[in-house]
This record gives sequence, C-alpha cells and structure tokens, in this order.
Amino acid sequence: MRRIPRSRTFYLGASLLYALVVFGVIEAFYDWEFARAGLLDGPVGPLDLARRTVSLHLASLGLWTAFSLAAGEVAYRFAAQLSTALGEAEQRGTELALISELSAVLAGPLGSSEVAAAFLGGIRRIVPPTVTTALIAYEEVAASFRSLANDGPRAGSQLGMTGKIHPLAVLPAQMRDRLIGEQRSFVVPDTAVVPDWPAFAARFPAMSGVRAVAALPLVSRSRLIGALLLYDETPGAFDRDQLQLLALLGQYVSGALHNALSLSEAEARADRESAVNRVAQRLRGSLSPDQVLAATAEEVGRALGVSRALICTGSTREDLAVLHEWHADGVAPHGVGTRGRLPLAVLAARENRTIAVRDGRDDPRLVDPTLGSRALIEDGTIAGLATPIGLGGQLSGVLVLHQIGAPRGWTSGEVRLVEGVARELRVAIETARLFAQQREAVTELERLSQAKSDFVSIVSHEFRTPLTGIQGFSEMMRDEDLTTAEMKEYAGDINKDAQRLNRMINEMLNLDRLESGRMSLASASVDLNALISEVVDGVLPGAAGHPIVLRLDPGLGSVTADRDKLTQVVVNLLSNAVKYSPGGGEIVVTTRAEGPNAHVLVRDHGMGIPADGLEKVFERFARLESDATRFIQGTGLGLPIVRQIVTLHGGEAWVESTVGEGSVFQFTIPLAAPPSVASV
Amino acid sequence: MGKIVFCEDDPMIQKLIRTALRSAGHQIFIASDGAEGLQLIERELPDVVFSDVSMPNLDGFQLGDALRAGPTTAHIPIVYMTASVQRSQIEEALQHGAVGVLPKPFTMTDLRARVAEFAGPVK
Repeated sequence: MRRIPRSRTFYLGASLLYALVVFGVIEAFYDWEFARAGLLDGPVGPLDLARRTVSLHLASLGLWTAFSLAAGEVAYRFAAQLSTALGEAEQRGTELALISELSAVLAGPLGSSEVAAAFLGGIRRIVPPTVTTALIAYEEVAASFRSLANDGPRAGSQLGMTGKIHPLAVLPAQMRDRLIGEQRSFVVPDTAVVPDWPAFAARFPAMSGVRAVAALPLVSRSRLIGALLLYDETPGAFDRDQLQLLALLGQYVSGALHNALSLSEAEARADRESAVNRVAQRLRGSLSPDQVLAATAEEVGRALGVSRALICTGSTREDLAVLHEWHADGVAPHGVGTRGRLPLAVLAARENRTIAVRDGRDDPRLVDPTLGSRALIEDGTIAGLATPIGLGGQLSGVLVLHQIGAPRGWTSGEVRLVEGVARELRVAIETARLFAQQREAVTELERLSQAKSDFVSIVSHEFRTPLTGIQGFSEMMRDEDLTTAEMKEYAGDINKDAQRLNRMINEMLNLDRLESGRMSLASASVDLNALISEVVDGVLPGAAGHPIVLRLDPGLGSVTADRDKLTQVVVNLLSNAVKYSPGGGEIVVTTRAEGPNAHVLVRDHGMGIPADGLEKVFERFARLESDATRFIQGTGLGLPIVRQIVTLHGGEAWVESTVGEGSVFQFTIPLAAPPSVASV
Repeated sequence: MGKIVFCEDDPMIQKLIRTALRSAGHQIFIASDGAEGLQLIERELPDVVFSDVSMPNLDGFQLGDALRAGPTTAHIPIVYMTASVQRSQIEEALQHGAVGVLPKPFTMTDLRARVAEFAGPVK
C-alpha cells in the first residue's frame, strides 16, 4: 500500500517552494511584459514606475508566502488524518485476516496441543521476535496445569515445562490469584517486583533472566481453560494495545481449545471405562479370585505407568496387609503379606477417601508419626495414590499405587480410574475371602478325613499285635498236647494281651471323650505329692534299671483335680519315661510351687526328642511317625491324653528335650489355695 | 534242619514264635530290632529271615535293603511279618526284596508252613 507522507516539514517546505516558484514566475512575466511595452527603456517614466513598485513586490511576496504556508499546514493536517484512518483500516484487515486464518485452522479436528501450536504460530507475526509465548491448560480437579505448546526464542525443551503436569502451587501467588481466582490478565512489566518470582524461576531454570511477563486467561463458556503466557528479557516489553489484541485473539482459541480438551477428556474417560470394564469382566469371569486380583494389580499398574500397585486387605486400618502386588521391571517388591509400612493405605482407610500424594517428602498429611511416613520414601517411593475398597460401609481393603524416584501429579482422570477399579475390587476381595475360607474348610475336612483313615489304619495295626499273641497261644492250647503248667502259662499270656487290647480301647475312648468335651471332672482336693508317690510305687516294680528319684516340694499344697485323671497323667508320663529310655538311667520327678500353679517335671535319660517333634508327640499316634520310637509298645495316645487332661484342669503340658540326653516332660496345674508360707 | 533269624520287637510275639517252633528242630535266632537283626544275619547267614516291618533302629524294609546290598547276605530270602494289610505295604515289601508276606495275626499253621517252605520240613 502506498504510504501517505506524514511529516509537517514536508508539507510546509513544499508550500514554501511552491510559493517562491509561483512568485518568481509571475515576476519574470511582468518584467518581460514591461520590457516589451518599453516601460523599462526611457530615462524617466517607466523606470521610476518600476522603482516605485519594489515595495509593492515585497509586500505581495510576503503575503503569498504566508498564504502558501497556511495551505501547507492545512494539507498536512488533512493528510495526517487520512493516514491514521488508512492505517487503522489496514490493521483491522490484518486482524481479520489472522482471525479468519486461525478460525480456518482451528475448525479442523485437532488435539489440544495442535490447537495451541497453531495459535502460537498464528500470533507470531504480531508478537515481537524477542517474546516467547506459551499456552498452558488448566486442570481444575487436580489443581494443576500443563504446558500445551510454546514458541519463540525460549521455546522448546529449554523451558522444561512442556507436557509435564505441575501443581498450581508452583506459580507465583499473584499470578495464581489474578489468573485463576479472578480470571483476569496478569501483566508484570518487571519481574523484580514479584516477591515469589525467584522461587518460580528456580523451578524452571529457563525462566531466569525473564523480566517482563504477561499471562492472559483463556475462558470458554465461563470456564477457565488455560492461559497464554508471554515473557521477554526486557522490562516493559509489552504494550497495552498489543496485549488487548492478543486477549481478543485468545477468545477465538479458547473455544477450540475447550472442545479439544473436552474431546481428549471424553476419550480418556472412555479408556478408563474400558480399563474398568476389562477388570470387571475378568473379575466376573475367572474362577480363582487370587488370579483376578493379581491380574488387576498388574493392569492398573501398567495402565498408569506406576512403579508398584498393591492390593491390601484388612477390615481395620491396623490390620491392613498386602494381599497382591505388581511391580514394574527392576522395582523391588514391597512384599506380599507385609503389615505396616503402608502409610498411604492407612491414611486412605482413616479418611475413607482417595489420597493422592504428589511428593511425600513435603506432604503435611504424611508428617503424622503414627503413619510411619519415612516408610513411604525409604525405598524411594515419592508419589502415591491410595483409595479405600469398602463393602457396605465396611472397609475391606485399600488399592495403593507407588511412584518411585520422582514426584508425580495425579490427574483427575487417573484418580477416577483407580476409584473405578476399587469399586470393582470390592466384590472380588469379598469373593477371595470367602473362597479362602471355603478352601480352608475343605482342607480341614480333608485333614480330618485323612486323620480318620489314618486312625483306622493305625488302630487296626495296633490291635493286630496283641491279637497275634492271643490267636497264636490259644491255637496251640487247642491243637497241641500241653502240660497243665504250659496251659496256665499260655493262658496268662493270652490274658496279658487281652488286657493290653482292652487298655488300648479304653485309652482311645477316653481320648475321644476328652477331646469331644464329653468327659466331666470329678473334682476333689488332691495331694499331688502323695499321688505321685503312690504312682511311683505302682510303676517301680516294672521299671527295672530305672531308679526313680523324687524331689517333691513339701510345701506344695493340694490341687483341685479329678484324682483318677491326674493319676493317669502321672502314670502315662512315668511309663513313657521308662519306655523311652531303653538304656536305663535315673528318672527324676520334681514338684514345685510356682505362683498360683504346681509345676511337675519328669526327667529321663532316654533317647530324647528332636526339636520338630516337641509338639508332635502330643498329637495322636505321633509316635508311629518317628522311626526311632515306633518299636515302643503303646497306643500312641498316652501324651495326647496327658495334654487333654491337664488342659481340662486349666494347666499346660509340654516337653523340653535334647536328643541323646533325655527329655523333661512337665505340666502345670493350678493350686487349690495359695502356697503356705513355708514353701516360699 | 534249617537256620532261621527272626526280627521282632514285641516280646509276646517273640515268645509265641519260640514256643511254636520249639520242637521243629530248627536253629532259631531272635533279634529285637533291625540293627541287631542285621548283625545276627551277617554272623549266622541263615536260610531265611522273618522280619517285622515296624522296628527300632533299622526297620524291616531298611534291613531288607541292607541284606540285598551285602555280598554274603544278598541271596538270603526275607519274609515280612506285618500287621498292615494295606495293599501298598505289601507291594512295598515286595519292592524291598521280600519273597513272601506273613500278615499278622498269623496262625501257627501258617507260620510253620512258611518256615518249612524255606528251612526244610518241621520234624
């Protein structure tokens, strides 16, 4: 477009030149006319006339010049106005061209980053080349922002902002209040006046050296979508007109950006829903809840790209434990079964809502010492997300995600995904619990069934040994010619085996009654020391090579007990001590009062019991499971009977032993009255 | 007239065996556990061994394996006397080199017949 001259000097100069030229031409014309008329030739007359007109000439020159200059001024003013009008028209044209260009670009199906990049590219021609521009999107739910695009000298990776999610808290407070609180422009001619600018610049190193900043809100349908940021190294780099134009252009882009963001939000929601659906389908389709939970942990972990996904279960926050765990390659497992060291889970359970931690190192919610907050970061876990899993208002577990190594802001979409999965998990965890219960019940039934068939097998085996004797001797008595003495002897043998058989049957029935609780105690005051002495007198004849030494506490006092049952306890322990020390050796029986209990110890110098057998010997028929002891006659019921009777009396029975040195079988039984003074 | 080693830990059954075979004319040796039985067999090299299965120190099957591993005892037949009638134990006995199984309770007729089979007829 042709430019209109705008300088006043130009117009005045031109007018003056015009005036002088016109005046000169007229003078020359008059001189020529006078000369032709001969007015200039006579000695007098015309010359005098000419001389007389000089003053008139000068006056008319002055007048003419003044008039021309006035005209020049008028022309200048007119031209200036015309020029302004033309310039505005031209700028409007530029703006309209830019707007229509942007509209054309933005009308296409673009992602938010493409929209932002197109916009920044579009405004580049009206922004000075020293200015860097950036477009950020605002995440209301997560109170964070992320950079969509940037352009200009400081654009690109050196900004350190692109694509990452940052909490709003990192923005200078004034900018936050103005932009997000009021949805108005924030323009700072010089960053030196912003108090928290150094902290912001420290976070984004590329911001150091920036002196002028402007942030223009992008609002669509009265919702804050994001902001256009401009920054420059020269203080006061932006002028008001330019910013107004940019704010105006911003309105065109915010609608497009809003649509793009809504679309990606909708897509993310669809993705989440399909992830949740996949989980839900798997939860309903699979037979093994454990597999389902393991797969779900993996699915969530991979979908969100976290370091670990833990499914914790527990009905209170104190007993939360890791039931299933998925961890990314190269990440150390947290540990299935781990209790404690779960501050996020405890927090989520306590607050009964989702807890998102961006950076556990400075999160005030984790300062609570009862959570053991150090545990969150001990293994490098810095960020985390935890959501409670509840069924009917009752806590059943917590879904926990760990992010190792770096802070991580959680988007509202991620939070919703995790919450969706947690809802689906409620049922699965409950199913897993019931499944485990059922499995336990089945295992117990199988164990009982096995125990029963073992019992039958063992009993029949045990019964056949005395039966062999009974059958053999009676057969000989029937078939052979025997002397009366032989007859008597064999009959005695038969009798012994029959008694043995009877004893086994009685013991078995006794134990059965004891275990099923159908055995009642005939309680009476019993002098334990006296009872032991009587038993020893009874056992002694059959215990050749086993001197029995009594170390009885004379002040022991009496116990309230069933005399016959207690006698059986002592008999069983003493006969065991004899039986299981085939090499002989002293057997020592000790009694002593210990607080409210009488404590009885039976020490032998027999073969001893290995550590893993110390509890086993109190199980039915356990003796048959050991090679070293299975030769010893008995029902394998003696010790189970001891324990049952002692327990029934409110005491305890156990054994301490060293293999090859001997065993100390012992039991306690409550004393009837406090021990007398003499015994203390 | 044969030489027989019995391995049996139950005193009443030991007595029964002695009594039942007292007039058969065989040389009878009785051990109370597997280890004692093995020593006795290696020393006496009997015509046949009758062994209980559940015994201290060395059970019947371990004894059978030890006999088969010894150069002087490998050929000695072993008969297991067992109170278990479970098929699995009888099969196990055969795997440990048994030439027969005498289930408890056994009759004197069965016992004498088995002894005669391996050690010659009872007089």
